[in-house]
Amino acid sequence: MYKLLLILRYLRRKLAPMFAVLAVMLCTAMVIVVIGVMGGFLEMMRQSVRTLSGDVTIISDVTGFPHYDDLITELKKLPEVQAAAPLIRSYGMINITGKVVLVEVQGINPAQMDEVTNFSGTIHWKNKHASDELSRFRLNEHVDVEKYAADMQPPSKGWNKPANRRGMITGIEVNPWETRDDDGNYHFDRSPVGIDARVTVMPLDPETGNLLATGPAVQTLTVVNEFKSGLYEIDSKRIYLPFDVLQKMLAMEPQDIADENLRPTGEKTPARASEIVIRLKEGANLETSAQKIRETLMRFSLMRRDMPATAALTWEQRHGQFLGAVEKEKGLLVVLFAFISLVAVVMIGVIFYMIVLEKTRDIGTLRSLGASRMGVASIFLGYGLAIGLIGTVLGVALAASIVWNINEIQELLFKLFGFKMWDPRVYYFDRIPARLDQTEVTIIAITAVLCSVVGSIIPAWLAARLDPIEALRYE
Amino acid sequence: MTAANRSSILSAANLHKHYHMGGQDLHVLRGVDLSITPGQWLAIVGASGSGKSTLLHLLGGLDRPDQGDILYQGQNLRSFSTAKLDHYRNRDVGFVFQSYHLLPELTALENVLISAMIGWGIFKWTGPKKALRQRAIELLERVGLGQRLTHKPSKLSGGERQRVAIARALINTPALLLADEPTGNLDVDTGQQILEIFKSLRAEGQTIVMVTHDPRVAAMADYRLTLDHGKVKTS
Repeated sequence: MYKLLLILRYLRRKLAPMFAVLAVMLCTAMVIVVIGVMGGFLEMMRQSVRTLSGDVTIISDVTGFPHYDDLITELKKLPEVQAAAPLIRSYGMINITGKVVLVEVQGINPAQMDEVTNFSGTIHWKNKHASDELSRFRLNEHVDVEKYAADMQPPSKGWNKPANRRGMITGIEVNPWETRDDDGNYHFDRSPVGIDARVTVMPLDPETGNLLATGPAVQTLTVVNEFKSGLYEIDSKRIYLPFDVLQKMLAMEPQDIADENLRPTGEKTPARASEIVIRLKEGANLETSAQKIRETLMRFSLMRRDMPATAALTWEQRHGQFLGAVEKEKGLLVVLFAFISLVAVVMIGVIFYMIVLEKTRDIGTLRSLGASRMGVASIFLGYGLAIGLIGTVLGVALAASIVWNINEIQELLFKLFGFKMWDPRVYYFDRIPARLDQTEVTIIAITAVLCSVVGSIIPAWLAARLDPIEALRYE
Repeated sequence: MTAANRSSILSAANLHKHYHMGGQDLHVLRGVDLSITPGQWLAIVGASGSGKSTLLHLLGGLDRPDQGDILYQGQNLRSFSTAKLDHYRNRDVGFVFQSYHLLPELTALENVLISAMIGWGIFKWTGPKKALRQRAIELLERVGLGQRLTHKPSKLSGGERQRVAIARALINTPALLLADEPTGNLDVDTGQQILEIFKSLRAEGQTIVMVTHDPRVAAMADYRLTLDHGKVKTS
């Protein structure tokens, strides 16, 4: 009982325990904030990657594979599969307002793609403001900008385009003229929406993999909208074309089969796609579902001699290297900050040692009153525990208030000092993605309390082995 | 065991104690014998450095002799385990020091109670808590500090602090009250007040061993034991 009384009283005294609490608080908060920001960053990247690429993807090489429609029909028979959509992935160039940018060109059917990924969610210009702006800058009549994204078709009247003109959707960072303001906002007047751009791709012979004799395929399309996934690597290097347009450009649509004398036989090659993106039903296990898809794919391929080698990869397998790098960075930072936090342990040790020195006579008094060595040690260990608990609770509270308001804090710092921690023009996301994970916070909190106790072990041991007579005489 | 030892509450035989200080071996006690019967007030007198305080510390179980035995109610302190010696200091002995040694963070009442708390674990404390608190208040009232229960040592005078220390020493109703120069830091009048308390305790049958270098204080005791260079001086 006397230990508890003394611990409570020692906590209420002067500056020393306050510094110890402050050390624990700051170290706890520092580690939680770092993990919160890095974890939020990783989580956001995982979400972005998953919503963009679906759960499982069937891939082959860049020349693609045939019978994709039949394969989709087979895949949809699996109870785990929610939806599947064909996709063509190629690489090419876009000549946009005189600047040529190397891009990944994807051919998609927006409606189908939307069933598998969050495609429509990534369309940037879709609010009324954008429509109004589009009407003001580009048209004489009011239009719905989102409609053109869904159709991938520019309005033939207002924009004064040829009737057969098709539209495309470009990544919001693809257009080199489109820059964000300091707050990271895009402005419609700088966007390429309504502008024509030329896309060049390389059609390949599916048999040899060589460039076709017809050479590169070039087509002019109108930018009907822009997409923003939040991942800079994608937003700056990807454009979407209508599936049929890209299929034709890459000569992946049904082709006439010629005989030995190069005369058409009247038969056609099947149309090809380079990928099938699959969305699983809610709650379906990723790995087991992927395995079932692989089995279906194998059966399907065995029955068709013209099917090239294909593979079914989960989204984690496809982007493992990219996400793994961020995960490693997170781990590295946590280790570094944990090392820094050892400072708190040393600091508590030093502060407690000073308290033990200051309390030497009291220790002698307690021993003379019958307190055991263990009892004296328990006072300082309990004191360390109490300081750890208080510091940790305050540290978690501080970290939570920082993590939950990190963007507001950043804005405040910017207003006060012109200092910007997070430049949305540089990073993947506009806002600092931070989140608190209950398990991580619990582990850090327990570690912080343990560290405080560890920091107090040596001073507690020194207090316990003090000779009571010398302690009573201590000046 | 001699007849004297059987009737005494505390006895010591052939006590020796060495200290190593500054590379030198100090033979502080050189074969001290003593015997205290219940209810006796013994004053240990002697010049500074004669070994008075060392003897008191050995009798109180704060230290162990290098040679010789101390018998408390027939039990040899040498045979006590560390835990039993802690218990002996807590329950059987009450210390009063020259410099009071109160805990500055605690109030007068808490300073008295802390000695009782040490003897009771955190879970057992709730049982005797009320009774011990009442006893602590009564002891403080007895030494004239009934109005100073919540005062911290820094708000008390030297005499008041020593009275709190006496109340603390008595809280566990110890068989032995060991006092080391209890009036050494006090003026004559205040010292006299403290001695009056000891006198009244003696009248109630409390066994007291008091170390002092002041002959006037020693004169109030029943018996005097004079130490000279670590030996009992026979007069």
